[in-house]
Amino acid sequence: MAVSVRDAEKVKYREFMERIEAGEKIEADDWMPDDYRQALIKLISMHGISEIMGALPEKEWTPKAPTLYRKLAIMAKVQDEVGHGQLLLRVAEDLIKPYGKTREDLIQDLFAGRLKFHNVFHWKTKSWADAGLIGWLVDGAAIITQTNMLDCSYAPYARALKRIAAEEVFHAQHGEAIAVALATGTEEQKEMLQDALNRWWPALLMFFGPPTAELTGSSKQEITIKYKIRKNTNEELRQFYLTKYVPRIQGLGLTIPDETLRWDDEKKEWIYKQPDWNLFLKITRNEGPMSQERLRLRRLSYENNAWVREALGLNTKIFAS
Amino acid sequence: MAGKKVPFYEEFVVFSRKTPTSPCQEQFTLLAPNHEIALVMAQENFMRREKVCDIWVVKRSDIRCMTPEERKTLNRIDNKDYRNTKGYGYLAKFWRKLDQGMLDEKEILSWSKGRVVE
Amino acid sequence: MKPQYKEEVIELLYQLADDDLLVSYRGSEWLGLVPHIEEDVAYSSITQNTMGHANIYYSLLEELGEGKVDDLAHLRPAGERKNAIILEEKNGPGHWLYGEPRYDWAFTVVRNYFYEAIKKRKIDSLKQSSYEPLRQVAVKIDTEIPYHLMHWRTWFEQLVRAGGEAEERMKAAVARVWEDIGGVLSLGPNEEKIVEAGLIESEAVLKERFLEDINKKFTELGLKMPGEPGMKKGDGRAGFHTEDLEEALAQLSEVYALNPAVPW
Ligand SMILES: [Fe+2]
Ligand SMILES: [Fe+2]
Repeated sequence: MAVSVRDAEKVKYREFMERIEAGEKIEADDWMPDDYRQALIKLISMHGISEIMGALPEKEWTPKAPTLYRKLAIMAKVQDEVGHGQLLLRVAEDLIKPYGKTREDLIQDLFAGRLKFHNVFHWKTKSWADAGLIGWLVDGAAIITQTNMLDCSYAPYARALKRIAAEEVFHAQHGEAIAVALATGTEEQKEMLQDALNRWWPALLMFFGPPTAELTGSSKQEITIKYKIRKNTNEELRQFYLTKYVPRIQGLGLTIPDETLRWDDEKKEWIYKQPDWNLFLKITRNEGPMSQERLRLRRLSYENNAWVREALGLNTKIFAS
Repeated sequence: MAGKKVPFYEEFVVFSRKTPTSPCQEQFTLLAPNHEIALVMAQENFMRREKVCDIWVVKRSDIRCMTPEERKTLNRIDNKDYRNTKGYGYLAKFWRKLDQGMLDEKEILSWSKGRVVE
Repeated sequence: MKPQYKEEVIELLYQLADDDLLVSYRGSEWLGLVPHIEEDVAYSSITQNTMGHANIYYSLLEELGEGKVDDLAHLRPAGERKNAIILEEKNGPGHWLYGEPRYDWAFTVVRNYFYEAIKKRKIDSLKQSSYEPLRQVAVKIDTEIPYHLMHWRTWFEQLVRAGGEAEERMKAAVARVWEDIGGVLSLGPNEEKIVEAGLIESEAVLKERFLEDINKKFTELGLKMPGEPGMKKGDGRAGFHTEDLEEALAQLSEVYALNPAVPW
């Protein structure tokens, strides 16, 4: 009896892998192996919550944006990011539903440090150029990562990413527009942008995560590639990013703060100075430069608004008409 | 014959999805006694010549449509270039001078192939 | 255009522009901190629309030779601002951004609902304005008001009907906003001339229509009408303002003021 159950599981697993390899898409209510579901929950809830937390660094500059046009544009951009959080959390919420969990649990996981937000959103912003640089280069890195999963085997995630990618085209251009305005502006504006790049460069390299599992002790790279959730490894994505963005950064007359950075034509890869992976580890423990402040702000607004959620959540019946 | 009129079947709206990543599309409405019957009739009523990968049936009474008054809330002023790529078209010329392409939809969606080393 | 007439046009345009700018500035501070993620996204569109309206009014002022749109929006000191005081007030206690801000959603819903209700009445009146460009602009802006009104009205109704703490908070917010909502209705010290010039109907007429709208809603919800709309903190149209405006202007112009002469 026990044997046949295990055999039945094996058959299901084999059929599942055949579907994955044939490029078929999996829906929320399809049978899926547990490690596939777990990998998706981890990946998508982190992606979703990172969009929500990622709104904060740019939000710091939203009311301060220099002109009405820029104010409107960065508002629309940050609004999109919150919207990405909405899409992704909905996908994650459907995945955790079998465990009786909801969005509330994800938020509590964030506060308790069980659910991490992306390492790039733990850094400080200092000037308007940071807002431009985030839109240009952080979104650039995010676009590289997200487009890599556009053909993801999990259909609800692929559908969310499709919507997201369409909006990211605007983000990429919005960020570039700010960077170009500064790079072609006064000396002061150019310096502002160069200074932002100097401070953000290590964060941009860290964005893609460590090249190997040994460096951090854990990696979900293999499983996500095996299940066709993404295509490339961390290092491949970083290389891809450098190929796409180094010429643009240099084209604007900016100096990348790494004298060792070069394209190796034999190895067909970029040589670059490794960022401080110990700092990376600290950030993943919410010990980055702004981790606690941003978590505090998020928690404060959550608690402060609890009455609103309660009022409407507890009274859903009154309003049905 | 002149007796009480029995409540007739319910109205269902039928939606379909063409591929796993395409949006759901409204097909039409049909009458059925319940969801199950609605579902078994949906494909042959509205998608006889079309291949789809999923079908939804929704009770029409569960759909909250807008009133004509509410539809007026859908109008917008055409002053939102700032949130569209339209507002940034001038960048193409700038990048061309630097031998760089524009990060437009075509370019960005092409990144979905991942890193390919030439 | 007669110089006197032009002066009244300019006066009214500043009131309209500054109102929309300040209320949308406060809206932009909420982005990312709204009680519900879906609502965060929705509210931001209203904020953007409203800042877009300010932009339209400032453009009319630019055409009248008042200066560049962004100079008008960013560089005018508090004493020259014509917005109603209730619109410049902070979203709640605490400080931007990591200074423990506690934004008040009840205050925000009430302020925005009353503001849009008055704005609708003003826009309807402006559609008959003697100043042709303003007439055209009013028609344009009117297309976006139905959504704003429906949005805030729905939140208002539901939070009041929820009873308990929510209802108490909403009632307190109504009392607070009412004390100064008169500032939005005000046409300032030059009201008579503005009305005489046929630019907009009188404060009394606008107020009556607004009270009619609110009365209807309050009756429906079983709320008590709070009497005459007040202007307790003073008339923003006459240049009276609070520290909150100083703080807001410092923020919104921080980057632009570094060098208003160059593109950003
Ligand atoms: Fe995003
Ligand atoms: Fe983005």
